[in-house]
Amino acid sequence: MRIILTFLLTLLAMPAQALNVVASTSDLAAIAREVVGPDGQVTAMSKASQDPHYVDARPSLTLQLNKADLVLVNGLELEVGWLPTLLTNARNTKVLPGSDGYFDASNFVRLLEVPVGKIDRAQGDIHPGGNPHFLHDPRAAAKTAVALGDRLAKLDPKHADAFHARAKDFAQKADGLAASWKAKFDALPASSRKIVAYHASLPYLLDWLDLAQIITVEPKPGIQPNPGHVAKVLKTMREQGAKVVIQEAYYPTKTSQTIAQMAKGKVVVIPGGTGPDETYLQRADRTAKELYDALKN
Amino acid sequence: MPCARHNSGLGIRSDARFILKAKFVVSTATVLTVWSSLALAQDGESVVAPSVGEAQSQVQQAVVDAEPTPNAEVDKADAEASLSAEELAAINASLVADAPVEAAAAAPATGGLSSANPDISLILDVAGAYFSDTPQMAGGHDPNHTGVTLQQLEMHIASSVDPFFKFDANIVFAQFGVEVEEAYFTTLALPASLQVRGGQFLTPFGRINPTHPHSWSFLNQPLVNGKFFGSEGSRGLGAEVSWLSPLPWYAEVVGSATEGVGECCARSFFGADDLGIETPSDLLYTTALKQYFPLSDDFSVMWGLSAQFGPNPTGKDNRSEIYGTDLYLRYRPVDATDMESLSLQVEAMARKRQIPNDVLTDAGGYADLVWRMSKTWEVGTRAEYVTGTENDYLDPTWTTARTRGSLQASLYPSHFSRIRLQGLADHPSDQDWYWGVMLGFEVLVGAHGAHAY
Repeated sequence: MRIILTFLLTLLAMPAQALNVVASTSDLAAIAREVVGPDGQVTAMSKASQDPHYVDARPSLTLQLNKADLVLVNGLELEVGWLPTLLTNARNTKVLPGSDGYFDASNFVRLLEVPVGKIDRAQGDIHPGGNPHFLHDPRAAAKTAVALGDRLAKLDPKHADAFHARAKDFAQKADGLAASWKAKFDALPASSRKIVAYHASLPYLLDWLDLAQIITVEPKPGIQPNPGHVAKVLKTMREQGAKVVIQEAYYPTKTSQTIAQMAKGKVVVIPGGTGPDETYLQRADRTAKELYDALKN
Repeated sequence: MPCARHNSGLGIRSDARFILKAKFVVSTATVLTVWSSLALAQDGESVVAPSVGEAQSQVQQAVVDAEPTPNAEVDKADAEASLSAEELAAINASLVADAPVEAAAAAPATGGLSSANPDISLILDVAGAYFSDTPQMAGGHDPNHTGVTLQQLEMHIASSVDPFFKFDANIVFAQFGVEVEEAYFTTLALPASLQVRGGQFLTPFGRINPTHPHSWSFLNQPLVNGKFFGSEGSRGLGAEVSWLSPLPWYAEVVGSATEGVGECCARSFFGADDLGIETPSDLLYTTALKQYFPLSDDFSVMWGLSAQFGPNPTGKDNRSEIYGTDLYLRYRPVDATDMESLSLQVEAMARKRQIPNDVLTDAGGYADLVWRMSKTWEVGTRAEYVTGTENDYLDPTWTTARTRGSLQASLYPSHFSRIRLQGLADHPSDQDWYWGVMLGFEVLVGAHGAHAY
């Protein structure tokens, strides 16, 4: 009994050796791994295959937040359906909004689709602060990494130089990747650059690669496709000569595949996040490559 | 009173006590630092992106200021003329495009929307029902007659008060009036993974009791909850302490002390006969241990043990005790593309009530099996069973066991609306089976609340 108690108390009393970083999405975790390097550990609360809007608020995530020094959040209400309860129950003031241990990536990137005027859910499930899916764009990842480097340096000044160096290195690589793919896509004729998206989650991708989204398969964001609207999508695709339907892996593919088949095109399933065995740059490269191969033909 | 209790003289070593004290001091210092840095952050100005008009005049001013020469007027006109309209427009566009990034970097404390107003949401539940005989529903918000029932209009208000407290309130509007279902503060900054709640709240017994009717998979309250706790569930005014243990899996220990009054909310205890609080043993104590085990990425188990102890009004020192266990099995594949999940929730409770010269015992439970087939469709089934006692003068109509079964199908047009069709077959004590069909509508407006597990 005494031994168990001493062990438990020692667990409580152990000083945090390395930074414990918990990220809400796999993309944020992947970026964090590049910047944190060997000076800390990074865990992701959701996987690339999960829709980040609808992650289960499992109590094991509360436990991760309880032990965290820094939580990375995508922001713009992407995690509003599951993260706030976890944060309150985590019983860890370090990671509450407003603290240094709470990092909201949306504060550091250029935002697109920020609504003006009154937001009405009759328009679908609109994110009131802007479109949250900015990590499809490596340039946003670069900005996030730089800001993350600053925050990590603040939390752990001993390794500040290392964090800044790694962040800068990653940002340069990400910007370089973005620029090289942008140049390749610019060489494609304008008629090949029209695409259809399943969910309105691609504005940053479109902005990066200069693509034009002519319609979405969802009639409104967050609303399931219905036969009438799907017919309209098909008609629009044929009229405008768009051949590619793009969606993340965490959306159902049946409807998109049917539409693509009828329009004699194809579905491109892009990663929803960074997979378990890859880096962020590999994931961004993979996204661009699959799109490029689909649009080139 | 509480069943298993270790010797409180734990013989903690003095150096371990010092470590605990040091952690407390550090946590307090952290809290004070956070509070002071938040206070300082209020003074920072937020940078507003310049409007296009302002940007344009800025450009023109910059052009003008670029090369001051003795012939200022002539050169200004030359400078402006030397830039074409397109070039000016391009410069404007770049200024505007650049400005938000600078603004974001300069004001990192807030992102997106910031408002000191609380998050407010309203949830309306209305149901139409048909019953083949007079229904005997246990819950105060259940459809209870052939016709239409306004189950509830619930207003949920939540906000952080300051770095130390969070505020939550659930106010329910129904046709019988307004009631405060819950109104409590939660601490945010206690050390040692502790958390305190105080106010009016649903006690942490089991899985379904601490939740609100709009989040249930079925339109009505389980019989065992209605019989043991009351039509509104077990709730009361008091305080609760909870502790997240340092074990490598989620294990939470909760204890609350509330006034056990109200036929709606503590009918196994004082209930409708409030004998008054004279000593601490006149309060209602609820304790629970909740554990969560992620067996895989797709499959997890949540297991709880709960107990309630308090006085009942049949005589001084007559006690009531309720013991419960709950199990929640959830299968939700992480690779699912359409929110598919299958969950089984089972709760079983047993109750002992001391009355003069006797102890009444009864037990009951329910099992809910819910299959979420897609974002849009869900089906479920529930089985319920509660025993009764012949000479139970506290529950005189409940003399024999009662069985009830339900089937439901739900449609979710969006994340904020739900339509439910539920059929039930009920066999109350000493009566014939009757059946019912209910169609419930639920809509939510306002702030998007976070879902609990």
